[in-house]
Amino acid sequence: MNVRSFYCLALLALFTGCATAPRITDSELDRTPMTTKIEPQDIRRTVEKMAESLIADPEVGELTKNERPVLDIEPMKNRSQMIVDMKSITDSVRTRLIRSRLFRFVDRSTAGSDIAIMDEQAQLGLTDQRKAVRPGQQSAAQMYLTGSLSDIVTRSGRVTDHYYKFTMILKDLRSGEIVWTDEQEIRKTANRPMF
Amino acid sequence: MKLTTLLVCALVGVLAAGCRTSAGTSLVTDHTTGSSVLFEGNTRLQNKLAVNGVTYDRVPSGLNRVNIQLTSLVQGTQHLQYRIAWFNAEGMEIDADSRTYRSLILQGMDSVTVTGVANSPDAVTSRLRVREWRAAR
Repeated sequence: MNVRSFYCLALLALFTGCATAPRITDSELDRTPMTTKIEPQDIRRTVEKMAESLIADPEVGELTKNERPVLDIEPMKNRSQMIVDMKSITDSVRTRLIRSRLFRFVDRSTAGSDIAIMDEQAQLGLTDQRKAVRPGQQSAAQMYLTGSLSDIVTRSGRVTDHYYKFTMILKDLRSGEIVWTDEQEIRKTANRPMF
Repeated sequence: MKLTTLLVCALVGVLAAGCRTSAGTSLVTDHTTGSSVLFEGNTRLQNKLAVNGVTYDRVPSGLNRVNIQLTSLVQGTQHLQYRIAWFNAEGMEIDADSRTYRSLILQGMDSVTVTGVANSPDAVTSRLRVREWRAAR
């Protein structure tokens, strides 16, 4: 009887012990989908596809043949029902394109910091004025990259179908023409079990 | 007796679960020599997927590109994932963390061409890796 009680207590301790701390493991970046929402692996695939498509485009190839064009990014517009950090997506595409060494980028989002640093160099008296950087010398973007995310949700009984479409464009500032565009479609279906 | 049977069943279950492998079909292509070598790391996938052809070219911006034709050898739909990694002349993978597994839904007996563009002018060889969808966690 005593032995049986001991085993029961040991089992009880084992099971209660399991529930106290969550088991955390490192996961693969390209894991299987967990929900019908946009997940990190969808962002990674979209970024890779967009960067490859832009690099492989014949017209863009002509532009990058003899020089590295200067680009800027305009954060993508989120027209979907989901909350997605759209700036992060365009930032990732920019990272890929810079690593390909075919393009150069300017960043308008840090222009305020640029001015502040130049002002400090000019006014604080710490910097050798022959070496100080003065405003008005930065490169000008010839083109900019932007895009949008839209979605369609369909529900029928226990099935939820979620369709997403990423669209990206590269626009020439001087001519106003769209030089390149591509789309990435993602479709996910969730089938809720009956019980 | 019952406990022994239960233990044996549990052991078999654990062993069977351990058999799930993330290995798949790999194809190494060399743009300098135009050669390609196929590695079959998963016998299940080996019987379900074939590499039919490989073509090499360069995109207008000068980066290498590889096109690989894959054919399903089974009637049913296959849910696969593929990844094309690029290596420099020294055999080192370029930008390893940024290469992603992409989804590939292959209909029965159908063929599909997957394309990879090098992520750097230094990339000279590529490696296609195909795995079954359930190998990803």
